[in-house]
Amino acid sequence: MAKGYNDPAMETRFQDRYYHSADNPEFTKEVERISRTIAHMCFQCGTCTGSCPSAPRSSYRIRKFVRRAVMGLEREALTDPDLWLCTTCYSCTDRCPRGIAPTDIIMAMRNLAFKWDIIPRNFLKTVQLIYTTGHGVPNNDVNRAARVKLGLEAEPETTHKYPEYIPGIQKIIDHYKMKENADRILAEGEH
Amino acid sequence: MHEYAFFLGCIAPNRYPGCEAAAIKTSRKLGIELLPLKGASCCPAPGAFGAVDLNVWYAMAARNIVLAEQMNKDITLICNGCYKSIYEVNERLKENDDLRDGVNEVLAEIDMEFKGSIDVYHLAELYYDPKICGVDKIRDSVTRPLTGTKIAVHYGCHLLKPIKERRFTDSENPMWIEELVDALGAESVQYRNKMQCCGAGGGVRGFDLAHSLDITNEKLINVTEVGADAITEVCPFCQLQYDRGQIEIKEKFGIEWALPVLHYNELLGLAQGMTPQELALDLHGIDCKPFLDKIR
Amino acid sequence: MAEEKKQPRIGVFVCHCGTNIAGSIDVKAVQEYARTLPGVIVADDYQYMCSTPGQTKIDNAIKENDLTGVVVAACSPRLHEPTFRTATKEGGLNPFRFEMANIREQDAWVHMHDNAGATAKAKDAIRIAVAKAALLEDLYPKSVPVEHAAMVVGAGVGGIQAALDLANAGIKTYLIDKLPTVGGRMSQLDKTFPTLDCSQCILTPKMVDVGRHPNIDLRTYTEVEAVEGYIGNFDITLRKKARGVLTPTEATEKGIVGGGCNGCGDCDAVCPVIKPNPFELGMKPRKAIYIYHPQVTPLIYTVDFDSCIKCGLCVEACGEKKAIDLDMADAFETVKVGTVILATGYDIFPIEKKREWGYKQFDNVITSLEFERLICASGPTGGHLIRPSDGQTPKKVAFVLCAGSRDNTGVGKPYCSRFCCMYSLKHAHQMMEKIPGCQPYIFYMDIRSFGKQYEEFYYRIQDEGAKFIRGRVANILEDAKTKDLHVYAEDTLLGQPVDLTVDLVVLAAAIEPTQGIDPVRKMFGVSCSQDGWMLEAHPKLNPCGTTTAGVFLAGVCQGPKDIPDTVAQAEGAASAASIPIHMGKVELEPYFAQCIEEKCAGCGMCVNLCPYSALALVEKDGKQVMQVTEAKCKGCGTCGGFCPGGAIYMQHFTTPQIVAQIDAFLLGGEE
Repeated sequence: MAKGYNDPAMETRFQDRYYHSADNPEFTKEVERISRTIAHMCFQCGTCTGSCPSAPRSSYRIRKFVRRAVMGLEREALTDPDLWLCTTCYSCTDRCPRGIAPTDIIMAMRNLAFKWDIIPRNFLKTVQLIYTTGHGVPNNDVNRAARVKLGLEAEPETTHKYPEYIPGIQKIIDHYKMKENADRILAEGEH
Repeated sequence: MHEYAFFLGCIAPNRYPGCEAAAIKTSRKLGIELLPLKGASCCPAPGAFGAVDLNVWYAMAARNIVLAEQMNKDITLICNGCYKSIYEVNERLKENDDLRDGVNEVLAEIDMEFKGSIDVYHLAELYYDPKICGVDKIRDSVTRPLTGTKIAVHYGCHLLKPIKERRFTDSENPMWIEELVDALGAESVQYRNKMQCCGAGGGVRGFDLAHSLDITNEKLINVTEVGADAITEVCPFCQLQYDRGQIEIKEKFGIEWALPVLHYNELLGLAQGMTPQELALDLHGIDCKPFLDKIR
Repeated sequence: MAEEKKQPRIGVFVCHCGTNIAGSIDVKAVQEYARTLPGVIVADDYQYMCSTPGQTKIDNAIKENDLTGVVVAACSPRLHEPTFRTATKEGGLNPFRFEMANIREQDAWVHMHDNAGATAKAKDAIRIAVAKAALLEDLYPKSVPVEHAAMVVGAGVGGIQAALDLANAGIKTYLIDKLPTVGGRMSQLDKTFPTLDCSQCILTPKMVDVGRHPNIDLRTYTEVEAVEGYIGNFDITLRKKARGVLTPTEATEKGIVGGGCNGCGDCDAVCPVIKPNPFELGMKPRKAIYIYHPQVTPLIYTVDFDSCIKCGLCVEACGEKKAIDLDMADAFETVKVGTVILATGYDIFPIEKKREWGYKQFDNVITSLEFERLICASGPTGGHLIRPSDGQTPKKVAFVLCAGSRDNTGVGKPYCSRFCCMYSLKHAHQMMEKIPGCQPYIFYMDIRSFGKQYEEFYYRIQDEGAKFIRGRVANILEDAKTKDLHVYAEDTLLGQPVDLTVDLVVLAAAIEPTQGIDPVRKMFGVSCSQDGWMLEAHPKLNPCGTTTAGVFLAGVCQGPKDIPDTVAQAEGAASAASIPIHMGKVELEPYFAQCIEEKCAGCGMCVNLCPYSALALVEKDGKQVMQVTEAKCKGCGTCGGFCPGGAIYMQHFTTPQIVAQIDAFLLGGEE
């Protein structure tokens, strides 16, 4: 609700802090579909945050993300940069007394954030590397030399030695338009 | 001889080739033959890649699995990240028709089909399994015991967690890799918060290096507190985080660590008499010499 | 069986059950349809058939139309079959000429949004019921006498209360317990919430009472070996475990005048074997000849033959009393009782399975029951709460609630253990009372203070200074040097992770059914619910009964409950168990198997198949035929289904009746 104040600072300061209803009631279902876990069963005990290696060194609270999933608070979840601080260690998943996999909820939210073009650049660069070489961490000359010294071939028995497999990988990635979107988002970020 | 398709992943062959060389040589002495899995790609990285689109993660991991299905061999691998992708996707696709059908629709475009005909194992898991190898066989293969060294074990996350989707039973205080370490003549040491993440995963290393290193630094404090001479793991990505991470910690936070970091296969290689050169330990960011001096 | 056949004249009555049925079924259409069915003379409907006007409709219709059978289409027979049988009887028909069609639970409720489908299904259900009603016969319940005695299995506070009630009502009661004493878990507790009564102090008078009540035959160190029979006539074989010690009565029977155990403890003093004391949860030593705890009833020593080395020193020390017999063997006795109450209690869930909390891994992580013993004046430390690692008095203590309860991981228990919140509040109070300057921290998800004066108790403990942290404990780590503990959680109310360093952690561990109780439960034919607790006959309206007539439940064996609830249920169970005994006889449903002797080949296959040992082969008119002991027969139909000659007739579920129902379903119907 805009209050019509002349001073934009005041408008911001006194903006409505209620949450009124879910941004998107389908959000819970989408998160559950992608994560394949029962997000709606969360009873907010905090075992997840208590287990989280990122929590004590940041404002990231995985419990709050699960809460946002339950309440359909899509925008709040997907635009919060803390979403990207999960190390996917799965400690919360092992300990959750409700048998939920909070880590997979985070992964699902990241997938959904990508659809909103919200994603850190390093993730997109990994996509580009895999698309072009088959590897997220490709070979380099120093390593090639070291491999040869060890009696290994300069290129490992992967797409590096057999680049004829790369087009198949590209077909899979293109099927989901992943590279295309990654390129676009990275390019837009350059501006 | 037990034969497996050897899934390499990225970091072992492209950053720590000694791990790859050691895995092949040490396993052969234990009756495990690692066969090349031709044309394999990145697993793909469960955090950094899966975070973007899990559909692609499933399909690409399935492609790697199908390569082994075509060889009619079970897969083994030496990286926890790869283990999550390859093991978990294999199990999930076997169990869920909807996932499998979706993946096979895509694989059909490249004339492949996931059949669910093979199993996936971490090499460390095979070493511990008495039906394949077992601790005794490891001990018997040692020609240069690592006597007098204290080694802290870092299990890593994706080997054991989520525990409900693993063959293992304990992700809170497992001790089986310690048994594998002790079998080399070394002394495994317990340290505070052993099961905590190294900090690298989930794309956090790339997204916020300082944050991920702050986790690594905490681990290093805990490990050195109990006087460990080295840290061992079964995951080249954890290795990268601990090894290169110590240099990055120095750059970012000004704290100097010098704790050698060795993949279990590198340790096993040393214990079986391989030279540091044969293990390419010179490629490590942190000098392994203090550790090597101890076992001479 | 051989009665005069009369053309069937059936009345059908369709119940609306308010909108429960009428909301999703077109009752009028169903009623119209019923009228068209063969044999149906009258079809009616009513708002509530179970009400007095509804029943009167049945009564009148029978008389006015000379009906031979009645069908009511309404709810589950579990609810109102008895009601409508009575109405049928009022109308002058044999009550077994009534048949019920369940169009509520099995129709209206499950097809709430499919009006047409539900209506069609109701028609099917009624057609099937009418087909059976046309073939119903007069049956007469069998009446059996009830033994004027009862048994209570388990002598914790629930079993004790039940036994006292039965005994005070003039019923001979066998009270048995597998342990050498009565008292159960309550004996191990220091104080009870919310009144802070000393647990032993309020329990011992009752323990003493059961020990000397003239109507109570107390059998400690005794287990149920076998159960035969049925309500009114249970034959229960008891295993009296070899105790190695004679009571004064037993000594007298053996001709040892003035002998037997007087509890002097001379044996205990000389016994060289030292083992952990299970009553003190291993925190105190115990000899191989022992009393379970200082206030045992009866005060008789027991030999632990698993650890006894038979050195004979105790026999010497006992001297002329000649109470100790190291060659004693288990003895068996069968007793007859009319009804039984199971009060077998609970055990603590092995909380070490929740690896993240480090029980049995870290010295200073203990369970609540261990806390009870440590804070109890008669406990191993004389009531001084200590840290197991160094014997120091803990100042900062964390209480972990829901430790293994409300746990859907597959490791713990999905249910709420119901008394942990309250005893943890009590523990906080007890330590604040005893240790100046101490600070209890209670990690909780919800505080469930639902009982009388419980919320007030919560208020009091908070006022006394306990700190409450709303967050479930994620994991616990030990400082290897100090043995202090780091408790990790999220303070969910602040949204901030917590790393609290404490001296001691108390896990409010979940509870589970008593180890090894399943065989006993099965001997009495009692089911268990998914969570493992014994299953009551109805969760609301028959919470003490079971599906085995004459067997009742008291206390935690039926599900977690605190002492007041346990005692209340025990009194309820005692009342329920005394009714058949006071009536002196019980009526059994006449669903017995009957042998058609002309067809019986005497093969005897059925005799072995019968799960209730109700069948036997007897010689009749020079040939072997099967005979049914009707009181034992439960009408399960196993024999009837198997009999190769079709010689077994299942009353009320006869082959023609069932075939008619199937035919009606398959061949009838609209479209």
